[in-house]
Amino acid sequence: MRTYTKYMAVVAAVVVALISVFILSYFWIPTERIGSQRSTTTTIATTSPTMRVTTTLSGVVNGAGATFLNPQMQAWASKFYELTGGRIQVNYQSIGSGAGQAKFREGVLDFAGSDPPLKSDIYNEFKAKGGIIQFPVIIGTIVIVYNIPSVESGKLRLTGEVVAKIYLGEISYWDDPAIKALNPDLNLPHEKIIAVHRSDGSGTTRVFTAYLSKVSEAWKSKVGSDFTVSWPVDELGNGVGGKGNEGVAAAVKQNPYSIGYVETAYAYSTGLAVALIRNRDGNYVLPAKEAVASAAKALVKVLPKADEDWSNIFPDEIIDPPGKESYPLTSFSFVILRQVYDDPVKAAILNEFFKWVLTEGQKPENILEGYDPLPPEVAAIGLDGLKLLRTG
Amino acid sequence: MNSEKIFPIFLIVFASISLLIVTSIVISLIINSYPIFLRDGFSFIFKSVWNPVKEDYGILPALLGTLISSAIAISIAMPLAISLAIFSAEIAPTSIRGFINSVSDLMASLPSVIYGLWGLYVLAPILNQYIMTPLHQYLGFIPLFSTKPIPTNLFTAGVLLAIMITPFSSSIIREAYNAIPHHLKEAAYSLGMTRWEVIRTLLGYIKSAILAGAFLALGRAMGETVAVAMVVGNTFTLPRSLFDMGYTISSLIANQFPNAEAYSYMMPALYSGALVLFTIGLIINLAGLYWIRRVVTRG
Repeated sequence: MRTYTKYMAVVAAVVVALISVFILSYFWIPTERIGSQRSTTTTIATTSPTMRVTTTLSGVVNGAGATFLNPQMQAWASKFYELTGGRIQVNYQSIGSGAGQAKFREGVLDFAGSDPPLKSDIYNEFKAKGGIIQFPVIIGTIVIVYNIPSVESGKLRLTGEVVAKIYLGEISYWDDPAIKALNPDLNLPHEKIIAVHRSDGSGTTRVFTAYLSKVSEAWKSKVGSDFTVSWPVDELGNGVGGKGNEGVAAAVKQNPYSIGYVETAYAYSTGLAVALIRNRDGNYVLPAKEAVASAAKALVKVLPKADEDWSNIFPDEIIDPPGKESYPLTSFSFVILRQVYDDPVKAAILNEFFKWVLTEGQKPENILEGYDPLPPEVAAIGLDGLKLLRTG
Repeated sequence: MNSEKIFPIFLIVFASISLLIVTSIVISLIINSYPIFLRDGFSFIFKSVWNPVKEDYGILPALLGTLISSAIAISIAMPLAISLAIFSAEIAPTSIRGFINSVSDLMASLPSVIYGLWGLYVLAPILNQYIMTPLHQYLGFIPLFSTKPIPTNLFTAGVLLAIMITPFSSSIIREAYNAIPHHLKEAAYSLGMTRWEVIRTLLGYIKSAILAGAFLALGRAMGETVAVAMVVGNTFTLPRSLFDMGYTISSLIANQFPNAEAYSYMMPALYSGALVLFTIGLIINLAGLYWIRRVVTRG
């Protein structure tokens, strides 16, 4: 019995220790943060509007959201951490746009990253509670990839209507007259098209289906646009779902005669064949730097201000922009902030960090491969928006 | 204080903590899935639709996919697991037994995402080329093989699950086999039984352990998320053959959870999927317990 007592005493000690660690860490960590925040004297009013990174601030801000934004946000955060000598730490967790928005709404996060901006009912809810700032921080593009053994990359020409018909199941073979008419020089096989799509809810699907809704009435009325949609091509047994960009890329690679859509970075890193897409002006384009910049510049006139409701124009209005060189599947990734923060230090840090992201952060050396920088006209939306930050 | 008195108190405290955790999981599943049952009733379980645009959800394809892929997994895994257990306990030279056992235990503890990636990039293409395509070509008239296979489908998911659960149930069977009193084995040999007859007799003796291994493995197969999500094909349609793409409840949750909060009813839909999975698991385990008890009392 002596051994039992000993054993139980050890177990009890471990349990008590664990519980006390939890309780202590709960009380401890916030106190430490408050301590570090009190040590600063800077407030928004006194923050200098220079592009230099201030070194008087210190503290932590927490954000989460879009997975698409994640690698770029991590790169920015670590560069900024370095530039401030480790004083400012920006945490970002890649939990998905929807979850990011929901957690931000609950007040758990200091900022959210999101592929689409807020839906209008949520925007109005925030507006009633002190207002919102939402602005683009980076450009992302989506490419249509394919696997036809006899057709090399950059040769296949497609239009949005044809892609919509493929995913609707109305075009089932590669030698369909509609595809042949766009590619008179290619020898297209009589093989069934396997249409690959994302199986997880994603901003990429949201943008891709917004494009299809814009170019095809049938798509708009039968399917619509969202993080996840009900794919008509699946009903025919010709659709495949892949988890994440890597899942879609693998499915396209493994299935000859398939088509899919992925974020541009994944197409190049996996060596998939990329299709030319016809833009609104009738030219066939790839997401080259100029094509993306052209698309972004074409949009400047239609974009709202940071404190306005973006839900009506994004992504449905800004997708497939005009311009001779513009790449149609060009979209933004957003950061969402509140206008009012209780903690002046948090507001100041957010202001400094995103000001840096929108200026220095857009320089080529700070942009990862697969992303495109904002043109200065679009970055200005966020810079103007940051002026609305206040404490209360 | 008297340790005889403290000991049961400790037991009660710890046992009630684990009971409390399970109960609170069930309660939170029920609370969180309540809205969708309020809106759709039980029709939600028997519908085949996943359309967030219209907030219309039904989980029948995922439910069938879970049952089909686990059935494939268990029917492949059990013969393998029993063979592996006997091989390492009876036939393998003593010098390599330790090696076989530790490799098999290591396989049981590998993270499932590793199985998933391996399944997607290695297993799926091999299965497609050497097993599924020939089966479809020569036996395609049988409804089970009627779909022209593509690498990721329910069959691939089933095979991958089988590989994942084999070492798991094998180690349970092995331990039970090794625990058989030695005099039973000696008695069998002294009756003039051959090696095969002895093994068969001893397997009958540990029937309940084999069933327990099967049910635990089945539970793991049904609950597997990430690995299955990578190889199951993820199309929300009712499967028409083994080679059709499909979904499982766990992979549906893994796929859809991150953005579910952007909708009003997707979260309840996913929670009720989890509740259904929990209920099925409970029924299977209870049936298993009942069966094991019958086998044991009869034997």
